[in-house]
Amino acid sequence: MRRLAAIAAVAVIATATGTACSGVGGSGDAGVYTTIDGAKQIDATAPINPFNPQGNTFLGYDAMSLAWPKNDPVDPNQFYPGIAQSWTTTPDQSEVVVHLQPNAKWSDGKPVTSQDVKTSIGLAYTQGGTAYAVDPKAAGAAADVVVVDPHTVKVTQGANKSNTFLRNVLSTVVVPAHVFGSLLPADFWTQLKLARGSGPAAEKAKASITGLAQKVISFAPAKDVSAGPFVLERVNPGEALLVKNKHFWASDKIAPNRVKVLNYTGNQQIWNYLIAGRLDSAPFTAVPSGVLNRIRQTDGNEVVKGFSPVAVSMAFNQTKAPYDNVHVRKALAYLIDRSQVTKVASPEGGTPSQTTTGIHAEAAKSWLGDSINGLDQYKPDPAKAAQELKAAGMKFQNGRWTMPDGSPWVVELHVPASFSDWVAAAKAITSQLNDHGIQASVLTSADYTLYLDELAAGKYDIGLWLMALGPAPYNIYQRIYGAANGWQLLAGNLTRVPPGKEGNWMGGPETLDGVNPGALTNELNAATPAQQKQIVGTLARLTNQNLPVIQLYDYVNTQFVNDTRFTGWPPNDSDVLRLPAGVWMQLGLIKEQGTR
Amino acid sequence: MKTVVRRLSGHLLRGLAMIWVVTTLSFVIIRNIPGDPVRGQYEKLIEQGMSPDQAERSTAALYGFLPTGSLWDQYTDYLNGLLHGNLGQSLSTPGTGVATLIGSAAKWTILPVLGGTLLSFLLGVTLGVYAAIKRSGKLGDALAISGSLLHGIPQYVIGLLVVAVFSTLWPILPAGGPVDIDFAPGFNGPYIASLIQHATLPVLTYALASYGGWILAMKSSVATVLGDDFIMAAELRGMSRGILFRYIARNAILPLFTILALSLGLLFGGAIFIESIFNYPGLGLLLVNSIGARDYALMGGTFLVLTVAIVVANIAADLLYAVIDPRVRKGAEA
Repeated sequence: MRRLAAIAAVAVIATATGTACSGVGGSGDAGVYTTIDGAKQIDATAPINPFNPQGNTFLGYDAMSLAWPKNDPVDPNQFYPGIAQSWTTTPDQSEVVVHLQPNAKWSDGKPVTSQDVKTSIGLAYTQGGTAYAVDPKAAGAAADVVVVDPHTVKVTQGANKSNTFLRNVLSTVVVPAHVFGSLLPADFWTQLKLARGSGPAAEKAKASITGLAQKVISFAPAKDVSAGPFVLERVNPGEALLVKNKHFWASDKIAPNRVKVLNYTGNQQIWNYLIAGRLDSAPFTAVPSGVLNRIRQTDGNEVVKGFSPVAVSMAFNQTKAPYDNVHVRKALAYLIDRSQVTKVASPEGGTPSQTTTGIHAEAAKSWLGDSINGLDQYKPDPAKAAQELKAAGMKFQNGRWTMPDGSPWVVELHVPASFSDWVAAAKAITSQLNDHGIQASVLTSADYTLYLDELAAGKYDIGLWLMALGPAPYNIYQRIYGAANGWQLLAGNLTRVPPGKEGNWMGGPETLDGVNPGALTNELNAATPAQQKQIVGTLARLTNQNLPVIQLYDYVNTQFVNDTRFTGWPPNDSDVLRLPAGVWMQLGLIKEQGTR
Repeated sequence: MKTVVRRLSGHLLRGLAMIWVVTTLSFVIIRNIPGDPVRGQYEKLIEQGMSPDQAERSTAALYGFLPTGSLWDQYTDYLNGLLHGNLGQSLSTPGTGVATLIGSAAKWTILPVLGGTLLSFLLGVTLGVYAAIKRSGKLGDALAISGSLLHGIPQYVIGLLVVAVFSTLWPILPAGGPVDIDFAPGFNGPYIASLIQHATLPVLTYALASYGGWILAMKSSVATVLGDDFIMAAELRGMSRGILFRYIARNAILPLFTILALSLGLLFGGAIFIESIFNYPGLGLLLVNSIGARDYALMGGTFLVLTVAIVVANIAADLLYAVIDPRVRKGAEA
């Protein structure tokens, strides 16, 4: 027994000593870049396949788009080159011509050609959505793909035009045809043409194309074949290792020899990596102030901030009294001090919304200009709030506001328990409302999926809601005047479902001041930039005056970099900040420390 | 021999019935959990900063992985699949079989949880005997207090403390992940050393978190045995301390043996907090993630594995109990 104990003790000491000698927790090896993938956690069992949402490919490193979207607050069609060296489009985006990088090669040495792009588009059709919806009536769906020459591809838009077509085409992830091509049947393009018609044959062809979706998602290539700066070497449940792709067309710009992508089970793990100085960069991660201070204390750590086209709002179910009354919604807006809410909920990752427009403040500057000052700012004003409540018929009795019939009024604010900043925001709001004589409480849902389900089912009076999802203005306003408020866009046709049905939980009226905001939002899809500006102005005014939501705070993209091993990071407010660090490298931004 | 076969057959039949009942109940409960997994995934991607177009592209095809048809049809399909050894396809890792995911996660659970359970059991049982024998001395008090303290501290607190001490203040062991990616997987020294390094803190946490329960249970059991006549008789006969220790331990360990067998069955449920803290991709984490993603097939598969493991552990405990305790064996034969 004693001997066994002695052996065990020696083994533990040897392990600890060995570890201590080799160093734990740092990416001490020269040329190794360590980061995390903000979009997904690593699943070592998933295939090396970008069509699989959990796939072990990493955008910007070994998975390449035709181009990379710039983080422009208003123009969704600004891009940096990716596999596409350049592109042209007609003014109405009916045709996009893409010119590939002439020296692009796959990691197995084969050239990247137009056929790879065409195959990738074919595979994207099996997944459906955006530019590659099989339904010909879908807005912004591609109608034809033509290989012009080995390095040029032309993609034509269908009859129902959308001004996001270029963006969606350029966002196509390109895979090697010699690896993925066998997934498409020989008559795929004939079937696609057939599917874009009508009648039983078209329906059958549609079914045969979308029926390929699972086969495409499940496809597991034996090894990674990448056109990006890196190629996946191996992956385990804790990390993925990518090594430099010697065939990458701009490999001279790529400083790291290897990239390690660490897995995480939650934000706390990312904080620990940052505090330990392990990460060279990390995408947006919600961080409380105390943790942020600790992260900043680590040698080399720096915070970089930029525009994030997302805002959080308090959204009303307007089928429920008293929230069907605009005066009540306005009263709540006058009572909520958004700066205090932001200070409590997201001091580093948010800025208090200037007012409610439906648009992030940064984008609003360009869309609305000075006209934003003409909108109601809803600055905290208890007197105005009382006026509004009285106008709604609410009564003030024994220090509490009640319903017009004298029954108690309890504001129930719902949030998912897993969103710590939303929970903090909701608590701050209810605290403020209670201080002003409105009985208010926070109710949490077990998880986000349940929250969304109950929200859509109309079970909540008020819930927190993500909005302002730019830069495309249609995306911005469809969060307020889209499916959640009864306007559904199916096969190019806009329909309105009644409140309480098919996910219409906001339950707002069909027209506001004589304008149909859902129809106007839909027009944003096909409008010219000048028309878009006019429509956005109208929608911002309607939103400001009718308050289907109260905009609370606009998110700030708070990222982390560490300049101990690498340098040349994008500055604050750079338009590449929301792109993966692999793209920063492609753009020549990151250099090893001491080599600049 | 006939008795053993009869007992085993009875256990197996009851076990199969239990597995069917639990599978059916869990199927009905799982399919009725509210939440649209694809909408949840879409909104989650948006929340992570993905554009609505990209999120739509990433999730559109997931609808093809959702079960269709009436609940009864889904149930019969599910049972038919189970009878053919098919646990279904995962939604959260689309295209990957549930059996593959469970198999992959199981290995990362077995190492820390089994290691931790056995380590804590050995430590707790051994020290529990000393704590009972020396219960009026300082050593006995100290051991009992250590057991009570550790038993009272939640697993996740111990985990965080261990990380703080061994990975932050004195960074000698890795805080997360199952193995270092630098080493090629296989039966080679650096890879195995890395596995051990990464498993040390999870095993230590699990051992510390469970040790208190074992030591307290063993102390109490030994204290009861110490009052038995056969111990007094052995002492009066002047038996050596070693033999006396064995007498006490063998009799006192019997109730703990059942708990150990059940703990080994529960091992397949993973250790959610430990796996989460140490980023150890085991069954507990798999189950939690599958619930969050409303991955019906994966939830069902994980529950099934847990149920089978507990049923098997129960049967094994019952049969082995008869082997190690002659009173039970003779009672069954009578």
